[in-house]
Amino acid sequence: MTTFLPTPEWLLLDWNHACIAADTLCIQRCGDCGQWRHPPRRLCPSCYSAQSSYQAVSGRGSVYSFVVSHRSRDLGWQEQVPYATLLVELEEGARVLAATSISPDRVSIGQQLNLRIAIRSDDFVLLWADDPS
Amino acid sequence: MIPADIWGSTAIVGVGETDYVRGSDRHICDLILDASVEAIADAGLSPSDVNGVIPPPGYMSTEEIAANLGIPDVAYHVSVPMGGASPTASLQSATMAIACGVADTVLVCMGWNGYSALRPKADKPPSRRQMNTGPMGETVRNAYAPYGLMSAAQHYSLYLRRYVEMYNVPEEAAAAVAMACRNHAHLNDKALMRGRPLTLEDYRESPYIAEPLRKFDCCVETDCATAVVVTSLERARDLAHPAVVYLGGAEGHPSPADEIASRDNILELGIHRAAPRAFERAGVTPHDIDVLEIYDCFTYVVLLQLEALGYAEPGGAADFVADGNIELGGKHPMNTHGGLLSQGHCWGLNHVVEATRQIRGAAGKAQVENAELALVTGYGDFGDGSVAILGVDR
Ligand SMILES: [Zn+2]
Repeated sequence: MTTFLPTPEWLLLDWNHACIAADTLCIQRCGDCGQWRHPPRRLCPSCYSAQSSYQAVSGRGSVYSFVVSHRSRDLGWQEQVPYATLLVELEEGARVLAATSISPDRVSIGQQLNLRIAIRSDDFVLLWADDPS
Repeated sequence: MIPADIWGSTAIVGVGETDYVRGSDRHICDLILDASVEAIADAGLSPSDVNGVIPPPGYMSTEEIAANLGIPDVAYHVSVPMGGASPTASLQSATMAIACGVADTVLVCMGWNGYSALRPKADKPPSRRQMNTGPMGETVRNAYAPYGLMSAAQHYSLYLRRYVEMYNVPEEAAAAVAMACRNHAHLNDKALMRGRPLTLEDYRESPYIAEPLRKFDCCVETDCATAVVVTSLERARDLAHPAVVYLGGAEGHPSPADEIASRDNILELGIHRAAPRAFERAGVTPHDIDVLEIYDCFTYVVLLQLEALGYAEPGGAADFVADGNIELGGKHPMNTHGGLLSQGHCWGLNHVVEATRQIRGAAGKAQVENAELALVTGYGDFGDGSVAILGVDR
């Protein structure tokens, strides 16, 4: 059973397309002050600049928080319970959600990991953390 | 107008509520109208006295409500889409409208099919009416649901997990909130969970939904409606019940409010901003309050709100909720109607109804002795917050 696939629009669609075109994780970056930000926004929340671009990042980061779900309304996810969803702080500073094959009992806050993209459709990439063990 | 004159110039004069049930035969619009009719009658008024309406965030419009109640002349209406923070924040909007002379008497109502919407009966198509999901819809659909995070329990666990780990918040603190609400529900004829005891053992044995949230950390889904009527304090003094003064209130939003992950401090919610504003406007301090009605969609969210209100240091609410402190007879009785956890989920307008009854001295078996000041909170969407402070007329 597959999990829910979204059909994003507007800025999130631009971001997904940027990742697909670069074939790697990209994050929006302010063209003036250089701050990385996610989700994408029209104006920079630090300097209010409208200039920005999507740039490739290392994918390295650490677990800032995480959710261990024991039930899901989505049948595809329900097959996988319990599963962890990670909130990862990238070394560039922005935070992103990531799915993972790491077992929930081996996830901890502060844990270092690498993210990659998994292209799920022409308009959507899922961020993924492989189990390093 | 001097802004400070607003606070304390209005009062709640009527309240109404339906039963809180798992599956109602009433249409959602009838539930909302039943509660509204009751609230207007409770005030000793007629629909023609109402000229302001703040409808639920979704489900039913001001136009429909006015037409079906026979309100002839709506001079003011506004929508307040902040999820569960909406009804309590609406008291602020009602007060601004009345204090500015835009409206005389405002109906605030809320109702929904919180149980039936997810569990339609085979012989009865579910209502197509829906909530206004505010900023959440787009974010959940495009950013959270693809990662398996569909429900509020899952979204809020993004910060509750970090909260629990950063401060070693004990499970017993969450259980104390759940058990206090349940104990109070036993005193309330309208509470869904009345007569169904909840022990610490029951709590510990209940399954996880999304860690740290267990089943008994989550509120009950119900079909229900509530309504309150707000007018000027001057007019309130001529009406049926003792005036319950809206001494002050506020709303607040986390930054950003439309999603959770990118917040600088993921544990700073809307109420952290609303609470100091509300206390200042009302001219009271946290320890002046006699009754707390805290929005309890999830137990851990209550703990965070108590800290935001100043009842404990960040991460320290466990001591505050221990030893029966938040139960009737304790120092800070909380959710005396059973709350969303054990009375039913009416987006916190049921908390406003209960606070009003407490200040009237009409809360029955759950009455807090000499209750002169009550504080209500609202919490909704991705952590929007609202506060209302109600008191006796002096
Ligand atoms: Zn910038």
